[in-house]
Amino acid sequence: MTTDEKAPRRLGDLERLVMEQLWAADGALTVREVHARLSGTRELAYTTVMTVLDRLAKKQLTERERDGKAWRYKAAAPREELAADLMRDALDRSGDRREALVRFVGQVSDEEAALLRDALARLEEREG
Amino acid sequence: MITPILLAALALVLAGPAPALMARAAWPYRIPRAAVALWQAIALAAVLAAFGAGISLSYSTAGQPGEPRFDPSSARDLAAAAVLALTALVGVRLLWAAGRVAVGTRARRKRHRDLVDVLATPDGLIPGLRVLAEETPLAYCLPALRGSRVVVSVGALDRLDDGELRAVLAHEQAHLRARHDLVLEAFTALHKAFPRFVRSDVALDQARTLVELLADDDARRRNGPLPLARALVALAGSPAPEAGLAAAKSSTVLRVQRLADPEPNSTLLAAAAYTAAVLLLVVPTFTVAAPIVKAVVNAVS
Repeated sequence: MTTDEKAPRRLGDLERLVMEQLWAADGALTVREVHARLSGTRELAYTTVMTVLDRLAKKQLTERERDGKAWRYKAAAPREELAADLMRDALDRSGDRREALVRFVGQVSDEEAALLRDALARLEEREG
Repeated sequence: MITPILLAALALVLAGPAPALMARAAWPYRIPRAAVALWQAIALAAVLAAFGAGISLSYSTAGQPGEPRFDPSSARDLAAAAVLALTALVGVRLLWAAGRVAVGTRARRKRHRDLVDVLATPDGLIPGLRVLAEETPLAYCLPALRGSRVVVSVGALDRLDDGELRAVLAHEQAHLRARHDLVLEAFTALHKAFPRFVRSDVALDQARTLVELLADDDARRRNGPLPLARALVALAGSPAPEAGLAAAKSSTVLRVQRLADPEPNSTLLAAAAYTAAVLLLVVPTFTVAAPIVKAVVNAVS
């Protein structure tokens, strides 16, 4: 497999779950609060949550502020904003972003869509 | 004096007319793998020939092979130095562009992967697949040495049946396995370094199309042409917000027509393309290297 799934899989999954908690929360959360919210659904070590929040901060997906002895974390941007960023990347057909990912297929004009349907009909007839 | 002229002529032909001609031809699409190799050879040979022309011109102007001299009071020698400096500048520009593309692409890709990891849900059945909760039909891969991702939107899943989804995944996995992104990266660097005077846009465009054909061929071998063609039509034919921006003719029509009306594999054509690629690289290299080797041999004996 070209995809690398073993170790990062768990942390990657947790990153998503932690972000979902931060997005759902009203304000910034401490590690303890995030841990408490996640513990309802799965067994998790406190230090694991700490590591995940730290990783997310390094990726600039969360922001943290000091609150007494503890850090409080909040999402760096609302989910919708990050999703819009992602879609802008993914749909970009010119410029630098285009090189970052390889799309299966782009959109075509009406004229081209007609040619596509013709070709597909020929193939369906032959194979079908 | 004949070497620099020949090399300069070769560089010019490889930079302009050769790419333009090859981009118009249909035969490269029958042999995408060999065609990629030939494009790489053309690009590399053009760069080598240009360097060779600059270096040999400056050497043949200032002194004899084996005994280069430099006299600042001589206009000829100054011109030779200028040519050498210009050649070096071209080299630096190329390296700079390659470095910028490599760093920039990886940074953008990493940011995008970070976003995918927190926004898209992993699919339990297919490792490496992430499902994005977006209505816009979308399927793409994020290449990486470690931790590559295949991303599919819910909108795309809605439009594909199981066989078609398998075809899409096979196509993307082929890109990831063969590291097609590295092929494109090299052509992108070349295009960034010499955007105008060299037809590097054609080369990049053709490389993009050819790696799609390669990935298509892989998916077709695994699942047959029909699911792949259906998936292409299903995902390309659906209206999307940016549909109005489609300026350049897309390669999608070519890809589906190629699945519908396959041309027989041509071993002979592929062999010819590989031979041309090797010759392109070997001949100018020897032309540049031969006088230098001869001079070294003369100096030693």
